[in-house]
Amino acid sequence: MIDYLTLAIVLMGAAALLLPLLQLLKGRAALPGYVLAVVLAAAFVLIGAFTLSGPSPSSVPWGGSLLHPDQLGGIFALVTLGVTLAVTIVSFDFEKGPSNPVYYSLLAFTALGMVLLAYSQDLLMLFVSWELMSVPTYVLAGFSKTRQSNEASVKYAIIGAMSSAVILYAISLAYGLTGSTQISTVVSGFTSNPTALAGVATLLFVAGFGFKMSIVPFHMWIPDAYEGAPTTISTLLAAATKKAGFIAAIRVLLAITTLYTVTQNPVFTMANVFAVLALVTMTLGNVSALTQKSMTRLLAYSSIAQAGYMLIGFVAFSNAPGSAAATLGLTGTIFHVINHAMMKGVAFLAAALVLLQLKRADLGAYNGLGKRMPLTAFTLTVAFLGLAGVPPLSGFWSKLLLFLSVANGPYGWLALAGILNSAFSLGYYAWIIKRMYMDEGESTERVKEPFWSVIVFAIMVGLIIGIGLFPQQVVGFVSSAAASVAG
Amino acid sequence: MSYALSLLIALPLLGAPLVYAATRVNRRLGIYASLALSAVVLLVAGYVFWQVYAAAASNSLAPGQYMLQEKYSWISFSNFGLDYFLGADGLSSPLLLVSALLTVLVVVGSRRLIDHHEAEYYSLIFMFEGAIMGVFTSLNLILFYLFWEIVLIPMFFFIGVWGGPRRKYAALKFIIFTFAGSTIMLLGFLYVYLGMIGTPGVSFNIPDLAGKIPVALQYLPLIASFIGFAVKLPLVPFHTWLPDAHVEAPSPISVLLAGVLLKMGGYGFLRISIGLFPNASAQYAWVFLVLGLFSMFYGAAAAILQRDLKKMIAFTSINHMGFVLFGAYATLVSGNLLGIQGAIFQMFTHALAVGSLFMLSGYIQHQAGTREIPLLKGLRTSMPRTAAILVLGSAAAMGLPPFSSFLAEFMVIAAGISASAFTAISILVPVLTAGYFLWMVKRTVLSPAEGEHEAHDMGWSDVAAFAVYLVPLVILIIASYLILTPALPVAQFLRGLA
Repeated sequence: MIDYLTLAIVLMGAAALLLPLLQLLKGRAALPGYVLAVVLAAAFVLIGAFTLSGPSPSSVPWGGSLLHPDQLGGIFALVTLGVTLAVTIVSFDFEKGPSNPVYYSLLAFTALGMVLLAYSQDLLMLFVSWELMSVPTYVLAGFSKTRQSNEASVKYAIIGAMSSAVILYAISLAYGLTGSTQISTVVSGFTSNPTALAGVATLLFVAGFGFKMSIVPFHMWIPDAYEGAPTTISTLLAAATKKAGFIAAIRVLLAITTLYTVTQNPVFTMANVFAVLALVTMTLGNVSALTQKSMTRLLAYSSIAQAGYMLIGFVAFSNAPGSAAATLGLTGTIFHVINHAMMKGVAFLAAALVLLQLKRADLGAYNGLGKRMPLTAFTLTVAFLGLAGVPPLSGFWSKLLLFLSVANGPYGWLALAGILNSAFSLGYYAWIIKRMYMDEGESTERVKEPFWSVIVFAIMVGLIIGIGLFPQQVVGFVSSAAASVAG
Repeated sequence: MSYALSLLIALPLLGAPLVYAATRVNRRLGIYASLALSAVVLLVAGYVFWQVYAAAASNSLAPGQYMLQEKYSWISFSNFGLDYFLGADGLSSPLLLVSALLTVLVVVGSRRLIDHHEAEYYSLIFMFEGAIMGVFTSLNLILFYLFWEIVLIPMFFFIGVWGGPRRKYAALKFIIFTFAGSTIMLLGFLYVYLGMIGTPGVSFNIPDLAGKIPVALQYLPLIASFIGFAVKLPLVPFHTWLPDAHVEAPSPISVLLAGVLLKMGGYGFLRISIGLFPNASAQYAWVFLVLGLFSMFYGAAAAILQRDLKKMIAFTSINHMGFVLFGAYATLVSGNLLGIQGAIFQMFTHALAVGSLFMLSGYIQHQAGTREIPLLKGLRTSMPRTAAILVLGSAAAMGLPPFSSFLAEFMVIAAGISASAFTAISILVPVLTAGYFLWMVKRTVLSPAEGEHEAHDMGWSDVAAFAVYLVPLVILIIASYLILTPALPVAQFLRGLA
C-alpha cells in the first residue's frame, strides 16, 4: 500500500515535470497556476494527514536510511508547502505572461526540494534536496527580466553556489572523519572523537546553512535579492527556503558539541557561538531595518532580525541539552519558524500587491494606505504587530518561549537583548502603521485589491490571530516534536 | 463558578465589532449602542464590586483571597503551563467599577467632541475597556501581560488618529515608551519562572507565587517590573511621554489615559511589585518612597509652570499618582495599613476628579477656542456653569474636604508621617497642589472678562454628566467604607508578606 508521503512526493514531482507541457495549450494562461495550487493543496493535506498519524521511519520503506519521516520534518514540510501554496495562489493575480507554466513548474521543484529536505536524514540526501530547492529559486529571482531582477538573480546564484560549496566541503570533511554521511553517525562520531577538523566542519556547517538562514555575517545578499526579485518570490525566499536552512541546522548542528571539546576552551562553545550570532543578527537586522526607505528592504532586514530571535532557542538547547529550558527553547524556535512564515509571508505578499497596484515600493507609497487599500493595510498591521511580538498574536507566544528559555542563567543577557530588540523593532513597525492610518496619502482613491490575494490575506490573518488566541494545539504538537529532538 | 469577570472582559471585546457595524449604519444608532453596551458592563462591574464588598463586610474575605475566581488550563505541555485565571479583590474591584463608569462617561462626552472615523473610535473604546478589565482581573502573569499590551493598541490609534496637531509624534512616543517598559517587565516574570522551574507546583499564577519566590530571585524582577509600572504610573523620570500624549489626545481619551491607564501602574506596584517581591520591596522601600515623594513634588511644581490647562492637569496626574506609590511603600516601612488603603482610595478618587477636569478642558477648548490659561478670562461671566464645574473639579482634585480625595490623601500622608520624619514632608504636597489650582481658578474664573465673548455655556445635560464624576466623590467621604473595607484585607495581606 502506498503511503501519503510517497503520494505527495510523486504528485509534486509529476507536476514539476509536466507543467511546462501546458505551454502547448494556447489561450489557457490561468491553467498552470490552478493545477499547481491543487497539487500543492493535495500534498499539504496528504502530508498533514501523514504527520498527524504519527509516522514511523518504516512507513516509507523506499526512503531507507536517507529519509526519516518524523514529526519535526512534517512540521517543516507543512510550513514550506503552506507558504509555497500561498505564493502560488497570489501569483494568479501577478503572473499572466506566456511563460507562466515554467514559473509554476519551478515553484513545484522548489516545494519538492523543501519537503525532501525536511525529512532528510543523510547529509547527501540533504545536499541534493538543498540544491533541488535552491536552483529553481535562482531562476525565479530573475523572472521579471528587469535589470534589477537579473542583478538580484546573479548575486543570489553566486552566493548560493558558494554556500553550497561550503556545505559540500563540510560534508566531505564529515565523511572523511566518520566514514559515514548518516547524520546520526556523523554527530556521534564528532562528539566522541572531537578533532580540530571536526570543529572546522561544524563551523563550515554553520556558515553554509547560515546563508539560507540569513544570519549575520552571511546575510549581505538578502536585502538585494529580496528587493530585486519579484516580491512574490521574495516571499518564498523569506518565508520558505529560509526555514529549510533552519531544519537543516536543527538536524545537523544541534547535537554537536565539538567546539568546546576540541578547544577545551570554555568560552568557545556551541552555545556561545549561537549566542553571539543571535545577538549580532537581531541587533544588526533591526537597526538596519529602521533606516530603510523601501518596503522590501525593510522586510528583508526585519527577516534577518527574526532569524536572530530563532537562534535564541539554539542557545538554550546547546547550553544544556536535555534540560527543561532546552525543550522550551527548541519549541520556541520551531514555533517561531511557523509564525514567521505566516507573518513575514503575508507581509511580503501585501507588499507585493502594493507594488503591483501602485507601482511603488518606497515607504511613501504606504501613506494613507488605510483608505486606499483597507484590507491590505489591515493585513500588514496584523503582520507587523505579530512580528513585533504584541499579544495576543501568534508571534507573541513563540517569542515568549524563546525569551523564557534563556531568561535566567548564563544567557540572561541574551533574553534582555532580545526583549529590547523587540521593543526597538516596534519603532519601525509602528512607524509604517502610522503611515498607513495617520498620514495623508497622495490620493484617497480606492485601489483594487484582487480576489486571490484577499483570500490568502484573510486566511493568514485568521491563522495569526487564531493561533494567538488558542495556541495549545500548535504548541503542544511542536513541543512533542522538539522533545523528540531533545531526546 | 461565576462568569462575571469573564463577562466583564468578553462583553466589550465582543461588543466592539457590533458597535462598529452599528455606527457604520447610523451614527446615532452607534452612539446608543455604545451607551447601552457600556451601561451593561457598568452593571456587571457594579455586581463584582458589590460581591467583593459584601464578602469583606461580612469578614469572609480572608487576606490574599480572591472572589469570583475562574481558572482554566490554556496552554500546557511538558514542563510549561499557563492558566486562564481571573479573580477580584478589594484592590481590583474599585478599579473595575471606576473604569466601567468612566467608559460610560467617555461615550457620553465623545458625542460632540469626536466628529470623524466614529465607527472606529467607538469600537476601539470597547477594545480598550475589555483589555483594561482583563488587566485588573488577571491572576496569571502572562495573561496580565497580554491584556497589558492589548491596551496599547487602541491608545496608539486614539492619540494618532483623533489627536491634536502633533498627534503622530505623541502616538509613536507613547507606544515605544510603554512597549519598551512592559517588555522589560515581562522579562522579569520569565526570570522568576525559569529560576523556579524545578520547584513543584511552580506556575505563572499570582496566588501560587505570592510569598513563595526565594528572596534571591526577587531583586532583578523587582527592577524589571518597576520599569514597566513606573512608565505607566508615571514616575519621574519615566514620565516624559505623558504630557505629550495628554496634550495631543482628544479630551475623552485623556480621561481614559489619566483615569484608567495610569491606574495600571499603581495596580501593578501593589499587586506585583509588593505582592510578589515583598522582601526585596521592603528592603529597598526607601528608594520607592523617595521616588514617590519626588514625583509628588515635581508634578506639582511642573503644573504651576504650565500655560496649557490640559498640560497642567496632566502634571497633576503625576503629582497624584506619586501618592499611590508613596502610600503603598509607606505601609511596608511603617506597618501602618492606612498607606495601602489610602493608595487604593486615591486611585479611585483621582480617576473621577481628574477625569472630570480633562473632560472639562475639552469642553472649554471646544467652546472658547483655546486652552491657554492666560487667555481664558472671565469664565465666571461668560460661561458660568462651566466655571462652576471647573471650580468644583479643581476642589475635588486638590483634595478639599467635601470630596473624598481629601480622605485619600490624608490617609497616605498619615502613613508617610508614621514611616519616618523625612517622609513627613509629604504634608507639604497638598499645599502646592492647592496653590496651582487656586491660581489657575483665579486667572480663568475670577478674572474680569475681556471684550465680547460669544462662548456658549454647557447645557444642563452636560452639567448632569459632570455631576456623575463629582457626586460619588462627595458620597464616598461619608460612605468611605465602601472602598476601605474591601481594601483592608489587601493591605493586611501585603503587609504580612513583607
